[in-house]
Amino acid sequence: MNEKLSMRCLATGVPGLDNLLGGGLPEFSFNVIAGAPGTGKTTLAHQIMFSLANADNRALFFTVLGEPALKMLRYQQQFSFFDINKINESIRFVNLSADLMDGSFDRVKARIEEEVKDYAPSLVFVDSFRSVVRSAKRGKQGVLELQRFVQRLGMQMMSWQATTILIGEYLPSESESSPVFTVADGILSLSQNLHHNSMVRKIQVVKIRGQAQAPGLHTFRISDRGIEVFPRVIIEQREVVESAGKLSMSEERVSMGTPGLDDMLGGGLPVGYSLLVVGPSGSGKTILATEFLAEGVRKGEPGVIAAFEKSPSQLLSTKLSSLVQTGKVGVIDTHSLDLSIDETLHDLIGMIDRMQAKRLVIDSLSGFELALAPEFSEDFRGSLYRMVAKLTGMGVTILMTSELEDRFTDLRFSPFGSAFLADAIIVQRYTEIGGQLKRVFSVVKVRGSEHSKDIRLFDIAEAGIVIGGTLAEYDGIMSGRAHRLPLTERMDN
Amino acid sequence: MATSDLPRHQIIKILMAQPPEKAADAAIHIWEQMASHIITIIGEDGFNSLYARSLFLSQAKFPWLSTSSPTPNAVHRFDELKTSLEAQAPAQASEANSLLLVTFIEILASLIGAQLTSHILQLAWGINTGNSTNKEFQE
Repeated sequence: MNEKLSMRCLATGVPGLDNLLGGGLPEFSFNVIAGAPGTGKTTLAHQIMFSLANADNRALFFTVLGEPALKMLRYQQQFSFFDINKINESIRFVNLSADLMDGSFDRVKARIEEEVKDYAPSLVFVDSFRSVVRSAKRGKQGVLELQRFVQRLGMQMMSWQATTILIGEYLPSESESSPVFTVADGILSLSQNLHHNSMVRKIQVVKIRGQAQAPGLHTFRISDRGIEVFPRVIIEQREVVESAGKLSMSEERVSMGTPGLDDMLGGGLPVGYSLLVVGPSGSGKTILATEFLAEGVRKGEPGVIAAFEKSPSQLLSTKLSSLVQTGKVGVIDTHSLDLSIDETLHDLIGMIDRMQAKRLVIDSLSGFELALAPEFSEDFRGSLYRMVAKLTGMGVTILMTSELEDRFTDLRFSPFGSAFLADAIIVQRYTEIGGQLKRVFSVVKVRGSEHSKDIRLFDIAEAGIVIGGTLAEYDGIMSGRAHRLPLTERMDN
Repeated sequence: MATSDLPRHQIIKILMAQPPEKAADAAIHIWEQMASHIITIIGEDGFNSLYARSLFLSQAKFPWLSTSSPTPNAVHRFDELKTSLEAQAPAQASEANSLLLVTFIEILASLIGAQLTSHILQLAWGINTGNSTNKEFQE
């Protein structure tokens, strides 16, 4: 008998949290949910409890001096996970306030033990454990005694084969010094991060014994369904290598749907590439994107659009609206203005998986940046890089638009310096020719592929984009003021 | 629907239907059963707050009801209520206690919802409301 122990993990029932924990909550583990008031600790504990509790796995929820149980029952009922039928059937609330009055750990421990014996729960919660610690301090019991108490409680709960979660208002600075944290097998830290006027909720698995957690801070949201975690995308080295390998090997190309554009790209856009379409307002970026999606629908390749500039009901073209109505193109609702990149990515991946989408349009990066909570704007480039790598790694071909006011002194491709993360770039510009403002565009880059170097005129007609001729006889087009070359030079061209 | 028609009120009527000479004892028994369950869930303080408010409201109709909050001691928690009830004619005592119970339950239901309240009362009084009454009981 040399088989190693394989720990069972409990699915927490909180979307995204199991990924962070490295598979779920280890059975019989002793955990702490820490965070300042208002960070969602009790909600998280309740959501886990209501999800896991059933006739075979009962839960005991000890309330202490923190939030009065009456209020907790009132407010927690507002969440859809709160199942009244489980109360006392598989979930029992026990108030410990009276046992804490004399501030003795022994009495608290004895009471917990008595209740655990009586109810035989698989899950034990203590909310708030901080109250237990504080009352002990009043009772002049030292840190050592507290540590011993926590250790004994942890041992006791494990012997009773119960998975335990202690809830406490701990600040990050306390987490290192508190004996509770030393003894705990798992620590979940919740926080509210304020940046300017916006607030973003974050969760961190500070510690989880025996499992590899997803490190760092991850955003989460509390809605009437409870908590939903959006694990931060971490690009693994393996994915980068695979992605790079795929790019160099990629023979397959997708058609753009704009007559003549595929030829300029060297035969279409390679599958799994990200294309950045840069241009000033009104230059036709969204129309190009619409044609890209429409072509996909024609070829039986569903698409998804994250429209940050317009709400779905205001989608610019009737063409795009009709594509959406056919159900072949999904729209990501992006109304909220305090999104995190990971939340958006989570929604995108969900819809791409559901629709088996092959094409994705992000219209536009400028709108996307505005929709994000300010703190994410600061690292927009980095986050965008992770997002694009993840999505292209899934084999999705991406078209991103980016608004860039015409600057006639320098040639820039994106306001975020994000051009490097695109595999291909198309630049659109206005230029003055013969007293008219004309639209021109050029394919600036298609990674690993031949492509046209021409600067071509184009027009937006009823049917879509019509690509015109080259402007070989002009120079200075990208500066906005084209000059007709002298005849001798034109002949050289 | 008049509140007195609510099934939880009907149940109180049934519980209160005791021989008149035992009205006070029966009343206290009902309270004790309920209190022990509710205190487990919402704590002594939670129970005391709701009880004090129920007494205050019921005193408008029955000014002779005792005013002080129950003592934390489980054995003597309802001593004062018992004394007040015993000093009255059985019918009067029964009516007052019914009102007090209804008031208490109504406040509890307004805070934690009718469904959860009925759930707790079922457990406290061991009355199965899983029939047609249940539907109304959980409205």
